[in-house]
Amino acid sequence: MKKGMARRAIAATLAIGVGITLAACSGSGGGDTGGSVKAGDYSGPKVTVTFWNGWTGGAAPVLVPKLVKKFNAEHKNIVVKDVPMEWGDIAKKMPLAVKAGKGPDLAVGHGDDIATYAAQGLLLKSDSIVKSLGYTDSDFPAGLMKDGNYNGSQYGIPWSVTPLGLYVNKDVLKQAGLDPSNLPTDKQSYLAALQALKAKGIQGEWVDGFVFTGTFEFESLLWQYGGELFNDDVSKATFNSDAGVKALTWMTDLIKNGYSPSNVAQDGNINALVASKTAFNWNGVWQTTNTALSKVDWTAVPVPQIGDQKAVWSSSTHWMFMNNKGQDKNKTSAAATFVKWMNDHSSGWAETGELPAANSVRNDPALVQKYPNLKPFLEELPYAHYETVAPGITNVEATITTAVNEAVLGKKTPKQALDDAVKQANQLLEQNKSQYGG
Amino acid sequence: MVSITPTALGARDRVSRAPRGARRTGTAYLFLAPFLVLFCVFVLAPCVYGLWISLHNWNPLLPNQPFIGLKNYIDLFTPGTLTSGNFWESMLATGIFTVASVPFLIVIPIGLAQLLNRRIAGGTVFRAVFFAPYVLGVAVIGVIWKYLLDPQVGVVNHVLGMLGLPANTPWTVDVPWAWVSLVGVTVWWTMGFNTVILLAGLKGINAELYDAASVDGAGAARKFFSVTLPGLRPVMTFVTTLTILASANMFGQSYIITGGHPGNQTRTAIMYISDEGLSQNQMGAASAMSYILFAILAVISIINFRLQRDTTK
Repeated sequence: MKKGMARRAIAATLAIGVGITLAACSGSGGGDTGGSVKAGDYSGPKVTVTFWNGWTGGAAPVLVPKLVKKFNAEHKNIVVKDVPMEWGDIAKKMPLAVKAGKGPDLAVGHGDDIATYAAQGLLLKSDSIVKSLGYTDSDFPAGLMKDGNYNGSQYGIPWSVTPLGLYVNKDVLKQAGLDPSNLPTDKQSYLAALQALKAKGIQGEWVDGFVFTGTFEFESLLWQYGGELFNDDVSKATFNSDAGVKALTWMTDLIKNGYSPSNVAQDGNINALVASKTAFNWNGVWQTTNTALSKVDWTAVPVPQIGDQKAVWSSSTHWMFMNNKGQDKNKTSAAATFVKWMNDHSSGWAETGELPAANSVRNDPALVQKYPNLKPFLEELPYAHYETVAPGITNVEATITTAVNEAVLGKKTPKQALDDAVKQANQLLEQNKSQYGG
Repeated sequence: MVSITPTALGARDRVSRAPRGARRTGTAYLFLAPFLVLFCVFVLAPCVYGLWISLHNWNPLLPNQPFIGLKNYIDLFTPGTLTSGNFWESMLATGIFTVASVPFLIVIPIGLAQLLNRRIAGGTVFRAVFFAPYVLGVAVIGVIWKYLLDPQVGVVNHVLGMLGLPANTPWTVDVPWAWVSLVGVTVWWTMGFNTVILLAGLKGINAELYDAASVDGAGAARKFFSVTLPGLRPVMTFVTTLTILASANMFGQSYIITGGHPGNQTRTAIMYISDEGLSQNQMGAASAMSYILFAILAVISIINFRLQRDTTK
């Protein structure tokens, strides 16, 4: 009881704080573009740009300060202050901080957070910034700019993408007499490989029912079968369509036919690949930096085409210009200069296991030369699908994972699990609509 | 015990009782004041405010919090709404966990306390050993056991396999094994606390009572039920109440070890409430759920106190 009260007390105190803050600052909504950027660099008075990001792990904590230092040295009138913190902390702190005028001038966010932030009035419309920086859709992978667009306005500028790929343990393939240089690309060859592995007592792909990465695999398959997660205006969930059922049934059939064990734990599959217990794992490009993988002879290829067309899940991160109370236009302009500079200097970002979004950097042959592991992931981008853009969408996406989990664990049939999840998702979409509007 | 003192004093100073009593009361209030202020500001006020929030469609990120009366509560009791199915599923999870864990958390500590109460060599060491896990945070024990119990690469299944037992039990992935894991981990983690409290209770029982019982020809079992248990009654009430409430508020173990899966079957009430309020920003609905959970726990606590009340006095 004491604990419960404490929890409620915290929640309520938080709510009081929010209430006061909201009362203190009037109005919300998109806000106008705070600052015009000329084609060249920012040339106004010296400003400090505060920059929040969730880059706390991997190579980023070394790389980012280096880049920022270089930028600051090259720009006498801009000082960028790099503030890394956990992604979860950013999501918690951002709304209050921005409403109070104490948020960052610039932040990096995931594709499915942009609309939520925009609907809360936390972001500046950046159409004119995009225009003055000279960015167009063709500067980034197909469809990625759209991912930062909400209600007809641009709120994000792409920074990185992280598609799923097929990780392969070559030693395990050899055990089953398979040729590691001739890897499966479609349903037939994938099933043939799984069958050959099964004949040697190896379960070739361990299917899990968690966000990482069962949900990503399900979504990739759904798109391959021609389905969509939601309808066009994201007012209804459609992932229980035939395509969805086919996708999820493919995954449960792998278990049913003995190609996968049942009850795989979170990350159980990549761990099994590292332990040479399985041959294939659908996982994100970020695993290329997984040091445990270096213990085995591995490679990665584009995910095989199981359905009727090529498609793969990818997440993305974007630059966001923050709509602080009393936002200084000069700071926003300076931030835009920083964004452009960072995108131009993003080739090193591949070090973190993410693909730079800027085509000019990604298409430079030097990138693949330096990071050959990224090649298959780069090849996938023309048919990659990014996050759904709608306020509060992450809550809705959680229902997809519930369905995948229930089906993979055999609690429900794929159809039943997806139908139940869609029912819940539609209620959540309705709630989001009534709270965030259009 | 304590209640005797004021009565005795009062009887002696009958004449001057009123003014001195008032001063005494005033002094007591003065000493209680700091806590009272903290209690009012950080517990009472937020509680009342939470009740107010629960009557609204309260998304803290948005400028307007429309008043919707009892709708949040009505929704929770209307099948088919967004919150009712999830909430009662999470309440069921909490119920299962509480019913499964509390008996073990009472019975095992009583047994351990009995053993530790004997003058055995190394008794202090064992007491420390049993209490040790309790000093660890839930994040630590959660992560440790998540690894140990991992169905594919965990040590537990590996050892079971070496012993010729099934080596593919999904301890952290599927029910009912996930419940076995959650209850087992919690018992291992917190039984030391109950043991120490009960041990203190045992030491408080007059040894002469056991001697007298022996003289009357009572065996070990009879002594346990007629001397030990009645002697532990006040301590037991405390331990049971606290254990029930702690189990009903379980959050971290599920959050870390099972993630609430399969589906949402091991997502406890507190886990769902915090998700609804803090992740989904539906503070109004989350507050309403908190109040229902609070009401149910209050009733259970009252029943518990009634049941364990000393009827001999």
